[in-house]
Amino acid sequence: MNKKLPALLLISVFVVATCGLIYELIAGTLASYLLGDSVTQFSTIIGVYLFSMGIGSWISKYFEKNILSWFIQIEILVGLIGGFSSTVLFLVFESIASFRIVLYGFVSLTGILVGLEIPLLMRILKDRYEFRDLVSKVFTFDYIGALLASLIFPLLLIPHLGLVKTAFMFGVLNVVVALIVCVSFKKEIRASKYLQSASMLSIITLLIGFVYADKITSFSESQTYSDTIIYSKSTLYQRIILTKKNKVLRLFLNGNLQFSSDDEYRYHEALVHPGLQALPFAKRVLVMGGGDGLAVREILKYQNIDSVTLVDLDKGMTSLFQSNKILLDINKNSLLSPKVKVINADAFSWIKAQQKKFDFIVIDFPDPSNYAVGKLYTNAFYKLVKGILAPKGLMVVQSTSPYVAPKSFWTVNKTLESVGLKTIPYHNYVPSFGEWGYILATEPENPYKKPQNYIPGLKFVSRESVNLMLFFPKDMGKVETEVNKLNNQILVKYFEDEWANVL
Amino acid sequence: MSGQTFYKGDLTTYLKRRSFLLRVGLITGGIFLNGCLKKIKSKYNIKGALNGPDSKAGHILRDKIKLPKPSSSRKVKTLIIGSGISGLSAARWLQKNGEKDFEILELENHPGGNSHFGTNKTSSYPLGAHYITVANNDDDLLIDFLKEINVITHFENKIPYYNDYFLTFEPEERLLINGEWQDGLIPDFGVPANDKLQIKDFLYLVSKLKNTKGSDGKFLFNIPISSSSADKDYRELDKITFKDYLEEKGYTSKYLLWYLNYACKDDYGQKLDKISAWAGLHYFASRRGEAANAEQNAILTWPEGNGWIMKQLTGKLKDHIKTSTMCYDINLTANGNMLATVFNPETNITEKIETEKIILSSPQYVNNRLLKNLHRPIEYSYFSYSPWLIANITINELPQSKGRGLCWDNVAYNTASVGYVNSAQQHLKISEDKKVITYYLPLCNFEPAVSRLAAYSRNYEQWLDIVVPELEIIHPGITQAIENIDFWIWGHGMIAPTKNFIWSENLEKARTPIEEKIFFAHSDLSGISIFEEAFHQGIKAAKQVLDANR
Repeated sequence: MNKKLPALLLISVFVVATCGLIYELIAGTLASYLLGDSVTQFSTIIGVYLFSMGIGSWISKYFEKNILSWFIQIEILVGLIGGFSSTVLFLVFESIASFRIVLYGFVSLTGILVGLEIPLLMRILKDRYEFRDLVSKVFTFDYIGALLASLIFPLLLIPHLGLVKTAFMFGVLNVVVALIVCVSFKKEIRASKYLQSASMLSIITLLIGFVYADKITSFSESQTYSDTIIYSKSTLYQRIILTKKNKVLRLFLNGNLQFSSDDEYRYHEALVHPGLQALPFAKRVLVMGGGDGLAVREILKYQNIDSVTLVDLDKGMTSLFQSNKILLDINKNSLLSPKVKVINADAFSWIKAQQKKFDFIVIDFPDPSNYAVGKLYTNAFYKLVKGILAPKGLMVVQSTSPYVAPKSFWTVNKTLESVGLKTIPYHNYVPSFGEWGYILATEPENPYKKPQNYIPGLKFVSRESVNLMLFFPKDMGKVETEVNKLNNQILVKYFEDEWANVL
Repeated sequence: MSGQTFYKGDLTTYLKRRSFLLRVGLITGGIFLNGCLKKIKSKYNIKGALNGPDSKAGHILRDKIKLPKPSSSRKVKTLIIGSGISGLSAARWLQKNGEKDFEILELENHPGGNSHFGTNKTSSYPLGAHYITVANNDDDLLIDFLKEINVITHFENKIPYYNDYFLTFEPEERLLINGEWQDGLIPDFGVPANDKLQIKDFLYLVSKLKNTKGSDGKFLFNIPISSSSADKDYRELDKITFKDYLEEKGYTSKYLLWYLNYACKDDYGQKLDKISAWAGLHYFASRRGEAANAEQNAILTWPEGNGWIMKQLTGKLKDHIKTSTMCYDINLTANGNMLATVFNPETNITEKIETEKIILSSPQYVNNRLLKNLHRPIEYSYFSYSPWLIANITINELPQSKGRGLCWDNVAYNTASVGYVNSAQQHLKISEDKKVITYYLPLCNFEPAVSRLAAYSRNYEQWLDIVVPELEIIHPGITQAIENIDFWIWGHGMIAPTKNFIWSENLEKARTPIEEKIFFAHSDLSGISIFEEAFHQGIKAAKQVLDANR
């Protein structure tokens, strides 16, 4: 027997121990990245991992013959599974509902395999050492390996390699151990040729993974958006992302879908025409929010409109829709029209300073998902809007989904009523959003008259479709709610509760 | 000290005084030594200022500085000394009743007293009092005033409708407890069932007291305090401390006691073992204000705190307010008028003002010096004032933390401070890149006199050492985000309603005018330092002046 061989096996104990702990740390880190709450994640991962190692050790007694060859096969398997673990977990996180099952499945599998390694190794070595020596040597190397892993993981690997590359690197190391053992003991192993080529193949696969790791992670990040990202930009206020799939463009603000080019006409026609068509005398229009210029595009279809004032907080957003060629195609250059004045300002402060009245006011703010935006849905804000609404004018408010969030929708309605406005709620179906709601509001002495005809060229809004939009079936029927005020922000609470069930 | 020996009393007083001086000496000496070290090297790289009321004024009052001889004299019918809320309220009342010949003298270079505020590039922020609650509906004088300044916009079924922009915006309050920010300040998250039961029991008790009237048909606890019931059974509560009262009632829950202690620190600047039980209960059982558009006792606030109300008051009184004008002596003249000697530290000119009536809307520890030549049969040493530190912190972004997001009022369980308020709460802007948070620290670990001297001897770096570590506990990692901290020290921040104070004969005497010529208006005469008391004290004194003029 070659004297070097036991030493080689001991070194492989060391490598195996290091790799084992690294996989465990990777799983723990990944879980706390993706699921949050690092204490819980780490402690459950470690628990499951150690328990699985126990199972592995227990199973090891069922391996009777060809232990060396089993050991090599297990090494290859650990290398492959461990190496690909973080990649697979990253990729499935977005698309799988029960991510935890996959995660703990991986952790258990790796744990069982790693649990097998040491007992098998000890049995391989048992005839080459005295028992006392054997236990002492194997465990010494095992624990040194663990120390090394726990030190280099946070200090070197995570900062310099990242999770995905680290996993691949240790996968390679694992399989290299297999290969070396295989070559050194080829006389004692029956199918050594087969095992050698299997290790070689695995090493190559893992190396390819290592090299292309960056591509994989960026791919997984773009998985959040199922389509190709063609534009992304962080402005002072939000992250704007534009995606494209086939011919369909989608705009996301902070990850929330803003519009999809194949059905946005349904939303914007419904937002603008039932109101503006009823005001043949209208000259001055105000749009608050809606920096994409799509509502303005609809408004400019009316010849009687002299001026459109668009107030949007984010200059990054309005400039994008004034300059990007693809986007100009969608909004038909609306924000470049000489009739349109773009103002980048905070809506609440801006409106407080206004005196001049508007015939038609479109309020197209983001959904009331936080206290900051929630202020723009309060009675205090609507009082100000009412103050600049021309006596015979109309205002319209995008009011979230009356189907998913009926309490939120009817709170907006109630709040508008509370400032002395007569409301006309309506809704339509926008495939990308689902059932969506809008509320027209007017001074009570000027009741809303449904337009009998609409301007030509509309794809969705017509006399008949508006009649349908005005009808609320039972499952979206009116519910009693409170008025949304600056000092209760009840809408934000409703909105959170109602959308929590969906998202 | 005008030449008197300080041990004129018996030996024990002398010894007490000696041990007091020794302790003060040790503490301030220690602080001074530590300060020298900190000056050399501070842990933090944070900039800002350390300010407080003008300390020079105090020295002048104690005859420590030689002033120039009076160079001129003039006549003013009514003088008001002090332009805090009580002084301004008195002036408002005189003006409303047709008086034109009156002046408000303020020793600082700005009016406002405790309602003082500051402004930086990011926001205005309070330096003292920072909120009021919806007025009790029987408080007609206050409701009239709130209507006058558009805090009440109109009435719906006779219930006041408060200005939407002044009612505290949601989210209003959060408490950091057991590792998470919970909604509201009453401990709840992770609190054992037994403690919750005690808390519920206490809240039930005070809600009952809130609606109970005494044998004379008045509410047991009301605002202003002077309108509370004289029912003997309840006034007895002023003779024990809040701590003893709670012990007697069997309240042992540490969470409940923390909350009540927090309340005492917040409103009175002292812990519950120093505060009378009557005052402790008053905090919870005196506010019954109903609003048409908010819940009972809703809070009204402004970025500059009560500085906003103060500005509404000073707006109409501009021509009557003389800042940087300190009165340091008052004497009777032969013709029955009075002669006030005033000094302007900016021009270094002393002048004499002959006046018929004086309203002293200055605190009693100041009046003690002002009236040194007149007889006033009261014991000044019973007036105890809590010192405070206010820190205004400009930050880029608060670190993320678990639970409820940033609120107006943010308190952490078991910390020395009473938390911080977000001065941007009432801003209408959707997003702001920076914030100013105002942190309140009552200095109540020693008796007020010791804490006060200790506070005066700390330098900027030493205050950082006190404030920043607590902020780090509340928000790990916040130090990085701090752009600036400005400290403000109130040596005599607010009157402490210690036991046997509010309903004492001494306080009654202190409220009594001197010879129909000198009248008193300050919240320390109510015994608690809140806007409403100062407001009513001012009106009461002004009414006395008007009556005496008749």
